[in-house]
Formats: sequence, C-alpha cells, structure tokens
Amino acid sequence: MASNPDAVAAIAGAVLQIAGLLAVAPLLKTAIKKMKARLQNRQGPPLMQGYYDLAKLLRKETVRSETASWVFVAGPRVYFAAALAATTLVPVLVAAAPLEAAGGILLLVGTLALGRFALATAALDTGSPFGGMGSSRDMTIAALAEPALMLGLFASALAAGSMNLGVLVRSLVEHGPSWHPSDLLAFAGLFIIVIAETGRIPVDNPATHLELTMIHEAMVLEYAGPDLALVEWASAVKELLYLTLLVDLFMPVGIATNLAPGAVAVAFLAWGGKVLLLAVAVTIAESTNAKLRLFRVPELVSISLGLAFLALAIRFL
Amino acid sequence: MFGVVAVGVPAALVIRLVTMAVTIGLARRPRVARWTALLGSLLASMLTMGVALYVIGSGRPVEGILVHHGASGIVFSYAVTPLSAWFLMVLGLIAAPVALYSAGYFAHAVAADRIAVVGAAFNLMLGAVEVVFVADGVIVFLCAWELMTLATAALVATEHEARASRSAAYLYLVMSHVGTGCLVAGFLLLAAASGSMSFPVLLSGHVVSGPLRDGLFVLFFLGFGVKAGVIPFHIWLPEAHPAAPSSISALMSAVLITAGIYGLYRVCAFGLGVPDVSWAFASMVVGMVSAILGVLYALTQNDLKRLLAYSTIENSGIIVLGLGAAMMAMAQGQPALASVAVAASLTHVLNHAVFKGLLFLGAGSIVMATGTRQLEQFGGLLRRMPWTGLFFLVGALAISGLPFLNGFPSEWLTFQALLLGFSSTPGLMRLNFPVAGAMLALTTALAAACFVRAFGISFLALPRSAAAANAEESPAVMLAPQAFLAVLCLGLGLLPGVVLGALQGVMASLPGLQPAARMADGSLGMASGLTSFDHVAPAVFGVALLGGLAVAGLLTARRGLAARRVPTWGCGGELTAQSEYSATAFSKPMTMIFRAVYRPTRTVDALGEVSPYFPREVHYRSEIEPTFERYVYGPLVRAVVRAATGMKVLQAGSLHAYLAYVLVLAVILLMWLGGTA
Repeated sequence: MASNPDAVAAIAGAVLQIAGLLAVAPLLKTAIKKMKARLQNRQGPPLMQGYYDLAKLLRKETVRSETASWVFVAGPRVYFAAALAATTLVPVLVAAAPLEAAGGILLLVGTLALGRFALATAALDTGSPFGGMGSSRDMTIAALAEPALMLGLFASALAAGSMNLGVLVRSLVEHGPSWHPSDLLAFAGLFIIVIAETGRIPVDNPATHLELTMIHEAMVLEYAGPDLALVEWASAVKELLYLTLLVDLFMPVGIATNLAPGAVAVAFLAWGGKVLLLAVAVTIAESTNAKLRLFRVPELVSISLGLAFLALAIRFL
Repeated sequence: MFGVVAVGVPAALVIRLVTMAVTIGLARRPRVARWTALLGSLLASMLTMGVALYVIGSGRPVEGILVHHGASGIVFSYAVTPLSAWFLMVLGLIAAPVALYSAGYFAHAVAADRIAVVGAAFNLMLGAVEVVFVADGVIVFLCAWELMTLATAALVATEHEARASRSAAYLYLVMSHVGTGCLVAGFLLLAAASGSMSFPVLLSGHVVSGPLRDGLFVLFFLGFGVKAGVIPFHIWLPEAHPAAPSSISALMSAVLITAGIYGLYRVCAFGLGVPDVSWAFASMVVGMVSAILGVLYALTQNDLKRLLAYSTIENSGIIVLGLGAAMMAMAQGQPALASVAVAASLTHVLNHAVFKGLLFLGAGSIVMATGTRQLEQFGGLLRRMPWTGLFFLVGALAISGLPFLNGFPSEWLTFQALLLGFSSTPGLMRLNFPVAGAMLALTTALAAACFVRAFGISFLALPRSAAAANAEESPAVMLAPQAFLAVLCLGLGLLPGVVLGALQGVMASLPGLQPAARMADGSLGMASGLTSFDHVAPAVFGVALLGGLAVAGLLTARRGLAARRVPTWGCGGELTAQSEYSATAFSKPMTMIFRAVYRPTRTVDALGEVSPYFPREVHYRSEIEPTFERYVYGPLVRAVVRAATGMKVLQAGSLHAYLAYVLVLAVILLMWLGGTA
C-alpha cells in the first residue's frame, strides 16, 4: 500500500474531489452540447444551462408510477452514489487518489457496474415497455464493452506495474509518457469504450426520445423531478470521470505532486485543458458520425477490443 | 480440545446414520420424519463445520480411523487436511441453513409418503460427500463417491412420476458413471504403479511420469470434471437441477459440484506432481469456455432453475480457470503466483456456494409460491414476497461480481492472478492470460445482465399470471436461512481479508505454493499477494458509497421520498402485463449478437380462416440450438446404441450359446496360461 495518508486527509480529499467534480460535471455536458450546436451552425444552450436544468428538476415534484416498488426509488440513488464513490479512486489534480487505499481500477469498474445494475433493474420496475427495452440494450452494450475496457486498462496498468490509479499516475509522472505505440492503440481502444459507456453517438444518442434510438434515455424515461436530477447529474459525473481516467492513463502531464497552491493551480489548468480537448474529440466524433444500428455496435466494440489486445501484445512480445 | 475434534467426523457420520435409520423408521409419520431428518442433518453439518474450522484455524490435520475390522485386518482411516477442511467448511456452511430451509420446504415440495426416503437420502448424500472430502484411501473414496452419486440421483428423481425427472436422474447417473469409470481406472493405474491404496502414497506426486502421467491426468480431469459440471461434461446439470427439489439444487450447486472441484484440486493439480504446461493450458481453456458458454446459456433461459443451473456451470468455469492459472504458474515454477491463483479459486468456491445456495433457496420460495419455474409467469413478486425478493436481490448482486458483496473479491483475485500471470510468465503462453481476463470480464458483465433480467422480470412491475398475483411469502423457517446466507454474502464481500487470512494455512499446506505473508492486509481488505499490483478494501470504500447515498439524500431532501403516484404511461393504451418487457425480449439482443453460439430458430404460424394476413391465432415458437447435446452427445449416443445393437447377436438368450462361450473362453485361457508357463 502506498504511503497511507491518515484517514482525515483522505476523507477531506475525497469530499473536496466529489464536490469539485459534482460542480464541474454539468458544465462539461453543456459544453459538448454547445460545441456540437456550433458545428451545426446553431447557437446552442448557454453554458450554465446544465445547472439551470438540475436546479429546476430538484425543485419539481416527484412523480412515480403506482406499479413501482422501492427498487425504483433506490435505483437513481445507488447510481448516483456509485458514480460519486468511484470518483474517489481517481487522481484528478494531485497524483494520488483520495481513497487509493481502498482499491484500484477493478474496484472503479465494479462500482460503476453496481450503479448500472441498480439503474437497469429499476428501469424494469414501472412495467413500461420502454424501461425494459432500455435496460436490455444498456446491459447488452455494457457487457460487450467490458472486455475491451478491461483489456485497455490492463494494457496501461501493466506498463506501470500496478492496477492502482494513484500508483499508476505517479509512475507515469516519474517516467513521463512513453509514447510507445501500444499507448496510442490502447488510447484509441479506450476512447471508443468511453463513447460507448457514456452513451454518445455513434453508440447511443443522448438527445433523443425515439424508441428506435434510445438506450440510456429509455431506461430513465419514467423518472421525474429530483429522481431524474440524480440520474442526469450522475451521468454527467460519470462522463467527466471517464475523460479524467483517459487523462490519467495517457497524459498526466502537469498533475501536482504536492499540495503547493501553485502546483495545484497549474494542475487544475492542465486537467481542464486536457478534458476540454477530449470533449472536443467527443464532439467531433459525435458530429461526424451517424448513430449505428444496435446490432452494428458489436462491430465497433470489437474494433476497440482488437486495438486493446494489440496494445498488450506489442508491448510484451 | 484435540480429543473432541478427533471424534468430530466419525460422530457426525454416526449422527447421519442414526438419523437415516430413525427417519426410515418414522416413515408413517411424515411430519416427525421430516423434522428428524433435517434437524439431524443440521446437527451433523454443524459438527463437521466445527472440525473444519478447527483444522483451518490450527493448521494441523486431524486424522483417525473410520472402520477397523479386527478379523480381516481392514482399517479405513480418514484425514481432515487443511484442503479437506476448506471444502468441509463450505459444505457445513451451506448444508446447515439448507437443512433448516428444507424442514419447511419439504412439507410442500415432497409428497408425504416419500418424505422419509428423501430425508434419508438427504443425509446419505451429505454424509457421502463428507467422507469424499476426508477419505484417506482409494476404497473409501470410491465407495463414498458412488454413494454420493446414487443418493443424489435418488433425490433428483424425487418426483419420479414426471418423465422429465426420471430422464434427468438417468442422464445424471449415466454421466456420473462415465466419470466414475474414469476415476476407477485412474486410481487402479496409480495404485498399480505405487503398490499402495492410501492417498498419502498414491498422491505424493512422484509415483508416475511420462505419458502415463498425462493419461492419468486426462482420466482424472474427465472423472472429476463431470461432477464439477464443466463444459463439455455439463449436460446432466441443466436437467438435474430443475428436476430436484430446490433445496437439493442448492446443495448440488454448493456441495456436489464442489466435490468435483475438490477432486481436481486433490488429484489433478496437487496429486500427480508438478503440473504440465499442457494440463494447465487445457484447464484454463475448459474454465474459460465453461464460464462464457455457461453464462450465455443462462442468459436466455426462461426456466429460473435452469438459469441458475447454467450459472453454476459458469461459476464452476471461473473456479477451474483460477485453478488452471495456478497450475500454469506451478508449471512455470512460480509458487507465489500460483498461491494468488489458488486463493482466487478457493475463495470463489466458498463465495459461489454461498450466493448460489441463497439464489436456489430463493427460487424454491418462488416456485412454492407460484407453482411454476417460468420467468414469464412471474412479475411483481416483490410486493407479495418482500423478504424473498430482498434476499434474492442480494444474491443477484453478489453473483454479478459487484462490489460490497462476496462475488467481487473472488473475481477481483482471479483478475489479479491473470494479470500477474501475464506480466510474469515467459513466452507465448502469457497471451493466454489476457484472453482469459477479457473472457472473465465478459462473463461478469453478462452475468450482471442475466441477473438484472432474472430479478427484474420475476420481482418487479406487474404480475404476469394469476399465480404470481396471488403468491404468498414463505414462512419464517424458510426465510431465516436465506437471511443468514444474504448476511454472509455481505459479510464476506465487505471483509474479504478475513477469508484470505483463513486460507493462508490451507495454501501453506499445499505443495508447490508459497503464499505471500500478508495477502490479507491490515485494513480487513486484501492484497494481490505479490509485491506490486493492487489491493482492495471494500469495507473502507463502502464509506464512500454511504457518503454518496447521503449526498443523494440531501439533494432530494426538499421533496423527501414522498411522491405523487400515477399510472405508468402505457403507450396510449392501458398498461397491462402484456405490455411489459418479457424475459425473452430482454435477452433478444444477446441472442442476435451471439447467434453463432445460440443458432436461434423461430417459427411463426399464423392461423387464419380467410388468409394468413388476417390471423385469428398466431403461434410463436423460438428456441436456441442445444449445440453440445446435438453435435457431441447425439453422435456418441447413436454410436453406443449401434455398438450395443451389434453386440446383441452374442446375447442370444440361448443357454447352449452361453455354454459355448464359456468353453471357448476356457480353451483360450488354458492356451494362454500354458504358453506363459
């Protein structure tokens, strides 16, 4: 175990990190919407729209189906809590994750899977056919994405000799990014998976409510008010988390190695810049592609799987 | 203390024998017989578990004599080694709650006139498995193995009026006996080579070598693989599990399968000497294929108990995959790595027994309440059966390998073993490990999809049949064991370090392993065992999740949990159970994507009076191809039948022909003996 910081510092770090990512996440979502609109010669929403939406939803009345049980109520809460808890395993500004003593990448992936399980189960609870459809499709795509995600993460982790993100980032900072071809392959593979996991075109369309194209939206169609706010907010945090993960694994340049205010400020700018860069990449991917049919998604994911496997193979053979 | 422990195993067996005798004697009073059989079993299981825990805790094997026949000089001894103790503990941990559950469940599931026989067979099966685990010599082992098979077959055929039950029991017997045949041949060859019938000599690792050793590995792998239910020897399992009463299914998954795994451990991995690379490779492939195909088949099952049975194949595959990785590490001379893989595999043995036991008990409650096993007939059960639903959900979360429950730590350890194997194995063999890792990731994710479906379709939304709408919650005697196992799922999931700590002694007792000193790390979490890589402490991380839940609570505090209740929008029409997503629909995308595996077929018949375009009735039928049954076992069965038909010529039923055979045989023997003399 890396130098075990005392519990108070870990908890303080975790709280600060959760609060920070919660605050920034809606901005990222709106920024992608805005950039996408600009590419289509539209004005797009104001940058603060994400916050307005959440504030509105949180004030609204909760409406639930009379056929739904407590599972329906628990779904968004567990999904939200899992996304928040997962953020504590990832280094953002400082080259140490607040709760890295609790576990590494596998725990992160498992926690997000717990959130997904909760939401997908809850989606079946109202009896609406849409919920079941979304649940089925979401679990299908997640299952297909999982091997590619794991292989991509393995490829990066094996180079650093650890599955713990804190240790991994420190090793990368120490040795510098290698620009080994396997890194580029693994990055490409993981980028595809991030698109699939965050429900973006070409896998899912976050802006639609059409039964042919919905996946994530179909799952959460029956939620309203504060319940919906939790789902939306957690999805935004998850997206930010995935982009941060890519930053951590492949280009943690600029991340602070101590708590000096200057270093942290630089790290904040560096992190923000890199996440924005990735957001631009996501926007471009979303704007230049058409949504794939559900049954074409496996092909896309298998490309990612192939890339990740190649990354592993060329690094070690 | 030691004296008490030394008589523990024989005492447990005596309790079982007495219980069986008394139960049979009470056949006319089914209620008393039921309680006698199951309370006796509970007592014996707890006693066995006590001995097991003592051996695990102290690290000292307990040995003794089971039968000593003075006149003939026959002595049968037993030995509870730390490895045996681990499996005995798993047995006790599941068999005790299952016995209590059965005390309530058999009243419903087993006809009164056969309750005594079933109760006796219940004890016979468990007693036989106990002897299998502690047997110290070939004869006792094989006798116990056979008794275990027969008792289980009797239990599978509990409802023997039903053709399905009879054929399931028959298939189980046939498959088991093919396996037993392999074991007998294997042990005889080993005994011939070593000149001894006792395990310590036989399985010391340097009795045989060369091609004979490879041949023995194949025989034993087949023999134990049948019982472990790994693909391609699995075909009996999805038939036998649904046919047996649910609590027996729980035991079959948690205890009987485990007996096969124990054999693989005792003989294949640690009994024939340092494993060969090709054995390890074969084991890993069998494990991978079982895991992935098991879960894929589970995903499309509409029969809840068949679904759980296929999921057992999956988990057996994960266990064998871990064992294969350990064998690979031993073959490469890496005892530390082998220990990580063995820890992964043995932890999964325990965890699988706990959550699969829980799920089968839950399935039993559902079947009792609704009278059917069909997922499409359930729905909305959470309202009528809140406790069963909660416990089933815990089991579903655990089996999906999600954090905070016990499926996660063992899968985490398996991943660690595979990754460490990749970075420390030389040569091309290393590519085996990331492929296995990717397969395991796919398996876990598919298992999650499978159990979202199983739980969601069964317990949520609207009831799909009158039976589900009128279901009733099980009595406390059936709920308490489920509660116990659910708490165990959570406890083993939050504190995996405790399990690893207990395993330390077991691993230290096995040749070729070298467990790192502190795999169970101080924070009640666990470390991968080698210096680097990863550690995990779910209990610590659980605080973060609770924090997240608190934030969610704060954010929604303004509105509280209160909500306006409205009907679900039914797409313009009224919402009925007909418009809910069905189990078949849920797994449809998987069926399409993995059609190379499933080869789905469907037939739609529209019956119309005027033209098929205006149907009055539509018959829809879809099925997936039973690949192994059709392409592997089908030709095999046909070949056997053909051969038997050919042989029929010899068996003419005529006494003269038989006498002629004897004469011919005698002449040949005399000629042969004369030649050698």
